[in-house]
Amino acid sequence: MRQRTRKISAGIAGAMVLPLALAACGSSSAKASPSTGGSSAAASGGSVTIGFQGPLSVNSPQLGINGLDGVKLAIKQANDAKTLPYTLKLEQSDDQGTPDQGPTAANKLVDAKVLAVIGPMFSGATKASEPIYTQAGIMSVSPSATNPALTTLGFKTFFRVIAPDTIQGKAAADYVVKGLKAKKVFSLDDNSDYGTGLSHALEPQLKADGATVTHDGIDPTKNYTSEATKIIGANPDAVYYSGYYGEFGPLVKALRGAGYKGIVISGDGSNDDQFIKDAGASNAEGSYLTCACGDANSDPKAATFVKDYTTLNGAAPGTYSGEAYDATNALIQVLKGLGAKPTASAVVDAFKKVDFKGLTKQIKFTDTGEVEGNAVYIYQVKNGKRVVLGLVSDLVK
Amino acid sequence: MSFFHNFWQLTVDGLSTGSLYAVIALGYTLVYGVLQLINFAHSEVFMFGGFAGIFAVRGVAPGGASGWTSVGLIFWGLLCGALAGGLAAFVLERTAYAPLRRRGAPKLAYLISAIGASYFAFNLAGKEFGRQNVNGPTLYDDRSVLFHVFSASIRIRTVLIFGVAIVMLVLLDRLVNATRLGKAIRAVAQDADTASLMGINVGRVIVLTFVVGGLLAGAGGFLYAQVFSASYTMGFLPGIKAFTAAVLGGIGNVRGAMLGGVVLGVIESYGGDLLGGNYVDVVAFLVLVLVLLFRPSGLLGERLGRAA
Repeated sequence: MRQRTRKISAGIAGAMVLPLALAACGSSSAKASPSTGGSSAAASGGSVTIGFQGPLSVNSPQLGINGLDGVKLAIKQANDAKTLPYTLKLEQSDDQGTPDQGPTAANKLVDAKVLAVIGPMFSGATKASEPIYTQAGIMSVSPSATNPALTTLGFKTFFRVIAPDTIQGKAAADYVVKGLKAKKVFSLDDNSDYGTGLSHALEPQLKADGATVTHDGIDPTKNYTSEATKIIGANPDAVYYSGYYGEFGPLVKALRGAGYKGIVISGDGSNDDQFIKDAGASNAEGSYLTCACGDANSDPKAATFVKDYTTLNGAAPGTYSGEAYDATNALIQVLKGLGAKPTASAVVDAFKKVDFKGLTKQIKFTDTGEVEGNAVYIYQVKNGKRVVLGLVSDLVK
Repeated sequence: MSFFHNFWQLTVDGLSTGSLYAVIALGYTLVYGVLQLINFAHSEVFMFGGFAGIFAVRGVAPGGASGWTSVGLIFWGLLCGALAGGLAAFVLERTAYAPLRRRGAPKLAYLISAIGASYFAFNLAGKEFGRQNVNGPTLYDDRSVLFHVFSASIRIRTVLIFGVAIVMLVLLDRLVNATRLGKAIRAVAQDADTASLMGINVGRVIVLTFVVGGLLAGAGGFLYAQVFSASYTMGFLPGIKAFTAAVLGGIGNVRGAMLGGVVLGVIESYGGDLLGGNYVDVVAFLVLVLVLLFRPSGLLGERLGRAA
């Protein structure tokens, strides 16, 4: 009897160990890109390596792939046009979109002696990775990490080309209350750094605009049956989900399946066509999305970018492709002024002063590494496709 | 208070999630019964069943279906899911466990081998099936309400999960308690050495136990994948929950696993509503700890041979 009990506790201990094991194993799933030859930062043999860090597996990897493909295009164009006195190479590192894997992924790039990094993409992974880049003195510019706190944590080499969630949250709240006329709003987040950051920016503004807010948080799952019941019980006019598309799809499916008729809206993390597939087109129809990101596909000025991107990567640009492309081009712009042997510290200093007209916005940073400007767009699913309705500032008068 | 307003719907939601936990928990409990070890790769058997079922249904009707065709397709998906689950469990037993058993390895080696097999399996699935969610074709109208029980709306997916799970649970209970194989499983669970002396082929019984658990998990995987969605990590959370359910009910005990699964599902459903989504797992594991404090061998006691 006693012996058996001990076996059970061993089993439970095993279960507790599993998440740890998850963190410890499977770190090196990202393979070095085939183009990576030279690993030294200085122009030995006429090449310089820059790094990319983002989720390429596990959590909503499509966003990471979107970013990576944008970086690849910018690098290819610079190499083809011989913009720089050396060849640019790319070292990619998969952080699986999690804080656990962030430091491992960052160290991999530091060990590869990259000159600068595009990424990390997700907020949680960024928070965990930036101490390593700061210590190594390597500039990193995120196309997409929108957690507001990231620029307040003393990361000396961190920049981002996307407005933080404080801006997105406020604009989203204004649109939900003033644009969509919702009076009762259910705010659900996924307990991640990104999700809680966004919901904490959203909720005060919802209240300030006069709406009643119910808050809940739920860890990512595929089974939202009980949560849907709870949400419907609260009888909201709108549900705002602060989380990623891998969960927003199943959530919308559960909500519509349980008879919810109100508005569903989510943030940039859910702004991907995969969400429509996961929810089912009929369930996703009419859903809204907010994003500080522009949409290259519907922007006539970006037509050549869309064409080149599609030719190179075999798929149209997605969320953050344009931002990653802009971030890489801003870096290339800076490298132009640094001669044949740029150093990591020179890149950091020069990047602070960059003023570059990108595809999505003017890339120019404040003292904290925040990009100037505050454009937030509203998207809606119409006939099974995401379309841009416009800027919040234009939609809410 | 919205909890009372939602009470019946939450109960129904909890029962349907819980019955799925129960189906998976049986795999843990059966294997524990005959080998006294936790098969941590069982969640991946569930995952393979989910993918196989979805791919099978998509292969026949990529555009979806309705009416009796759908009923047929669901049986087809369950069958393929179950077969894939059984096959995965068989391969798992042959590769990750049988070699260790032949060499008389310590129990810890099995545990590590199981965790290794689990990582191998889900990473392989991620590589082969992609990292995105994979969804089945539409087989029924997700929104239509069949009937009401008190204030709860009963939908097709609820009936599907709950109905199939109950049928599987009853069949398994009969298998263990009223067939020759069941008798052999119980004998091995009580005392493998003596069972072997009585002429029972212990190795064969162990393989069959794995396969039976795999058939159930595979069919459960298809249900989960069809109603929610399939992904290469889909087994992880339900697997941990089902393992918890098995311990809650009394590991090694077939009816305990069923009870544990249903209890856990309902507790989670209530806990999420009363305390917030953040507390779903807190409540579930608090109940587990409390039960184990006062009943260390779980709700219905431990042994497959004795209590079932």
